[in-house]
Amino acid sequence: MDSKVTTIDEAISTHVQHGDVVALQNMATQAAPMAAVRELIRQEKRGLGVVVLVGGIAVDWLSFAGVMDRLIGAAVTMEQFGLCQRYRKAVESGRVRVEELSETALNARLGAGARNLPYLPTRGLIGTDLIRQNPDNLRLVEDPFGGPAVVACRALVPDVALVHAHRVDPEGNVQYKPTTLWPDIGIFPKAARKVIVTAEEIVPSDILRRSPDRTVLPGFVVDAVVEVPYGAHPTSFFPEYRYDSDFHLAWAKVSRDDGAAQDFLDKHVLSPRSQAEYLSAAGGAAMMSRLRGEEGA
Amino acid sequence: MSGKAHQDARHYTVDELMISVLSSFFEDGDQACNGMASFLPVCAFMLARLTHAPGLVWLASATGLEPRPAKVPASTLESELWSDSVMYMEQYGDFWNYAMNGRWLQKFCVGAAQLDMYGNANNSVIGADFHAPKVRLPGTAGLGDMGSLGKLLYYWNPNHSPRSLVEKVDFVSAAGYLGGGDEREDLGLTGGPQAVVTNLAVLDFEPESKRMRLRSAHRGVTVDDIRAATGFELVIPTDVPTTPEPTDDQVRLIREVIDPDGMRKREFRAS
Repeated sequence: MDSKVTTIDEAISTHVQHGDVVALQNMATQAAPMAAVRELIRQEKRGLGVVVLVGGIAVDWLSFAGVMDRLIGAAVTMEQFGLCQRYRKAVESGRVRVEELSETALNARLGAGARNLPYLPTRGLIGTDLIRQNPDNLRLVEDPFGGPAVVACRALVPDVALVHAHRVDPEGNVQYKPTTLWPDIGIFPKAARKVIVTAEEIVPSDILRRSPDRTVLPGFVVDAVVEVPYGAHPTSFFPEYRYDSDFHLAWAKVSRDDGAAQDFLDKHVLSPRSQAEYLSAAGGAAMMSRLRGEEGA
Repeated sequence: MSGKAHQDARHYTVDELMISVLSSFFEDGDQACNGMASFLPVCAFMLARLTHAPGLVWLASATGLEPRPAKVPASTLESELWSDSVMYMEQYGDFWNYAMNGRWLQKFCVGAAQLDMYGNANNSVIGADFHAPKVRLPGTAGLGDMGSLGKLLYYWNPNHSPRSLVEKVDFVSAAGYLGGGDEREDLGLTGGPQAVVTNLAVLDFEPESKRMRLRSAHRGVTVDDIRAATGFELVIPTDVPTTPEPTDDQVRLIREVIDPDGMRKREFRAS
């Protein structure tokens, strides 16, 4: 099979178009494909819809930079570092439109997308305003077998899924080290038309063959493979590194102020020309060893 | 908050009282899971497991089964919390297979920005216009599911006020008893909110009307204090007991073993 190995700028420019719906692996402060997110901002993508289970700093940046104009997801927060203020502001001013789903409704929409079904049902959400709010995608329907009504969740097929992994081979087979699986790897990339994988390292397939039980995504669904060490920074990527508290705190501190937030983005997103330059601006070797330290995941 | 005039020397703080009360809802044979920013539930589960409910099964962050963290870490949605687990559950493929099933994970302990007189919860938006809200809240996450899946819901609220306990939520992100009475049951929903533990009181729901009711007042807090801090008319019984206080042993476990770094205090606004 041909190698899918490429650079992050090539992967994003080839596979993400303005207006696309982009599924973003993320769980508050966990495992976001941040190198890909920064590239979306650098390339000034516009009009993206972003699908998240629980979005964090990535959604805050994409809102601030004007990359996204809609969100499909269950929550957005940086947990201990507070609400995402730029996302909040963008939603409150009407610049970002939210399609809010519960976790089972999002899973059902993506599950239907993956399996080429018109919808999958859930029993969640019954009685909430979230159904009334979203008639295009959620409908209370009768159970054809005579049970109580369920909520039909319309299929969602993202244009692209962005995921970060421990290691991947050049064909795109994705493998995780022994750890928890990220909450969304189970469905996001399977529902999407295209998949871009960034990974801590690209390894020969022979390495994956030693532990095929840890391969969670087959190469045939993957379109591009990029090696990006610390590609999830400042979110955590256990067992490799923990979330960067200092970085999150620094962003939370400036994020309410337009000028200071722009300076932060200039320094950490727009100026660095490579992952090495990004890591250096974020604290370099001292930061990396701190995040891998015994406090680490 | 009020009630300070009555305050005298005591061996615990209000966060510890709330943890003690929350822990009493969880027993051997239950399975409990916590979400993000959930220090009080995590402390309560750990306390229950160290005292009256060693057989309480805990699924940390809906991810790590039966973990053994050394102490409560700075996040309740990161790997430090689920260290030394016996199993990892993946959210899509695994967790909801158990949680959507009425047999497992029957109790859920959660916070909400707004809670109304019938126990409906709002974590979505403040304001009338969903697409131009006054405040965009984090979102319903798994709560919108838990409210409709027959779970018994236990809410905590560290800042009992007319802003967080409102007559009608701006938006129902999780079903409580809806308009009260049989409305929830008529939709085919079982379970529902059981209690609300605040920094002033423990509240529950009157069985017929499903209106929120004062169950006990914390020591030093008067019924008038609670009335003034609630945005609607609570059902108030003639006899309002004092909330059971934590034992010396519970307080010691919370301070020395479970949460020596005081993460549980993060949610409380300085008064």
